Amino acid sequence: MFNLFLVDFSVIKPDPGLLFWTTIFFLLVWIILGKVAFKPISKALTKRENDIQDSIDEAKLVQAQMAQLKEDNQRLLAEAREESTRIVAEAEAFAKKRRDDAVNEAKEAAQKVSENAQREIANMRDSAMADLKKEVGAMALDIAEKVIRKDLKSDATQKALVSELVNNLN
Amino acid sequence: MKLALRALFLLVLCFGLTTLNAQHDTDDHGHASELTEQDSGAHGSEAAYDPVGTVMHHIADANEFHILGHYSIPLPVILYAPEHGFKFGLSSMFDHGHEAVDGYVLNHGRVNRVADPSFPSGHVHLSGEHPIHEDVVTVDGKKKDVAYLMHDGKKYMLDKPSTLDGGVLGGGITSFYDFSITKNVFTMLLATILLFIIFSIVARGYKKNEGKAPSGLQSFMEPIFVFIRDEVSRPMIGEKHYERFQPFVMALFFFILFCNLLGLIPFFPGSSNVTGNLGVTMALAVIVFIVTNLNGKKDYWEHIFWMPGVPVFVKPVLAVVEILGLFIKPFSLMIRLFANISAGHIIILSLIGLVFVFGENGTNVGGAATGAFVGGLFTAFMNLIELLVAFLQAFIFSMLAASYIGAAVEEHDHHDESHAVDHHHGGAHAEAVAHH
Repeated sequence: MFNLFLVDFSVIKPDPGLLFWTTIFFLLVWIILGKVAFKPISKALTKRENDIQDSIDEAKLVQAQMAQLKEDNQRLLAEAREESTRIVAEAEAFAKKRRDDAVNEAKEAAQKVSENAQREIANMRDSAMADLKKEVGAMALDIAEKVIRKDLKSDATQKALVSELVNNLN
Repeated sequence: MKLALRALFLLVLCFGLTTLNAQHDTDDHGHASELTEQDSGAHGSEAAYDPVGTVMHHIADANEFHILGHYSIPLPVILYAPEHGFKFGLSSMFDHGHEAVDGYVLNHGRVNRVADPSFPSGHVHLSGEHPIHEDVVTVDGKKKDVAYLMHDGKKYMLDKPSTLDGGVLGGGITSFYDFSITKNVFTMLLATILLFIIFSIVARGYKKNEGKAPSGLQSFMEPIFVFIRDEVSRPMIGEKHYERFQPFVMALFFFILFCNLLGLIPFFPGSSNVTGNLGVTMALAVIVFIVTNLNGKKDYWEHIFWMPGVPVFVKPVLAVVEILGLFIKPFSLMIRLFANISAGHIIILSLIGLVFVFGENGTNVGGAATGAFVGGLFTAFMNLIELLVAFLQAFIFSMLAASYIGAAVEEHDHHDESHAVDHHHGGAHAEAVAHH
């Protein structure tokens, strides 16, 4: 029935020679190429895929780290800014206090100095007054002595002098 | 851009080859029809172009590589006759059928043997223009093709090489075996050498370019390799075992692919119908059968002999079906590849044959031109389809082989009904894909 066309449809008849050679060649390809090519290629591909995946993962990790770092930096920067503002404010306050203190001290000192001066002036005035009084007294005594020595030669003049002196004292 | 260029190159190549194919076959058929004329002249009947015979002759294996007209490349012959031992030589020693060597002659490119012990051994020149004749005789009510040669006025019957079909397909064990490097074996050898060259370059590329992007041939083969790994071995065999069978699946795919592609080249060193020969696909299917069953796990055999998850009275029935399936699966692999590739070759040769059918055997030049035009266009189209089929059949063969292996190495954690249904659904899916 397979000679239906009256020709030899030979491809459907398995030839032992072909069977033999096909087996040989296929086994050669399978065993040798499998060892020297298919397996190493497969391994290299798997390795490369893993490498790529690792690289992507690492890049993502680094990216996350970078984002974290940036955030940290920003926070630090904000903190630093705040700190600097605080420091400046503190310094200003301190400076102001110092200035006020200085001013106050100066004022106090000035006041003290002026008070001292006033007191001294007063003392000096008092002493001057006392000296003056003493001096004037002495002078008056001198004068009086002189006057007295001159005028007290008579009683009338003594009396006039006394009254005049008394008047002058008032 | 590069891909587009490659596609364009392939397209141009296809058309170019088709033209060459037409030319080659024109010459060839000119020769063939001349033969037929002379042959039939001896028989005293009408001369005619025999399209079916020509096609069958072209898809058949041969002991010499026919180039053009009377020129052939001789191939080594290794012949074994059980009672005479081995005989080695080159097919050129038969002088295209005009010389018998130790009883072996060349009949239409194939070595035949004179079984009759009275035929002289050594080199015997056969007289006459065409000493070998073919005839159809009826034996036991069956029509049978027989060949004979005339020598010294005596008729000697010729034996064809033994085939392993047990006589079912018209062949059978005869007086000798042909282990020659035939046209098909030569092409397979070429495919093997090409594979070795290409893949040693590619493998070297992976060593040289480690940690770098692939380049050249390596980047051309890589997508195919990755495709087979990701679409065939990994899903079919499973993540756990696929690496072990990766070389096998790759070897299947690339061996079949290269044989298919070489078969599409219409002139030397291609044109042989390698994977369209049942012997070749049978060898591959048997290897798949052996690999599958050697790696069968306990679960695999349990599913065959005592299917879990079904009622007891169904189990023996399923066992019979599964045992049949064990053989039908590789058998289907064998037939599918053989039929697809043979059919492709037959269609292309038939379309080329239109030139001679329309040309009415050289008497009608206008008809021949029409046939060449129409046949050429259709052949160009068919060649493109065959290019697709070459890839597709290699893919399907390796995918189904991988799915059989996958079923053999699969481990079931639990045997519930839904799992069994799932399993069979997966198998059916693979089969459905294969038949597209």
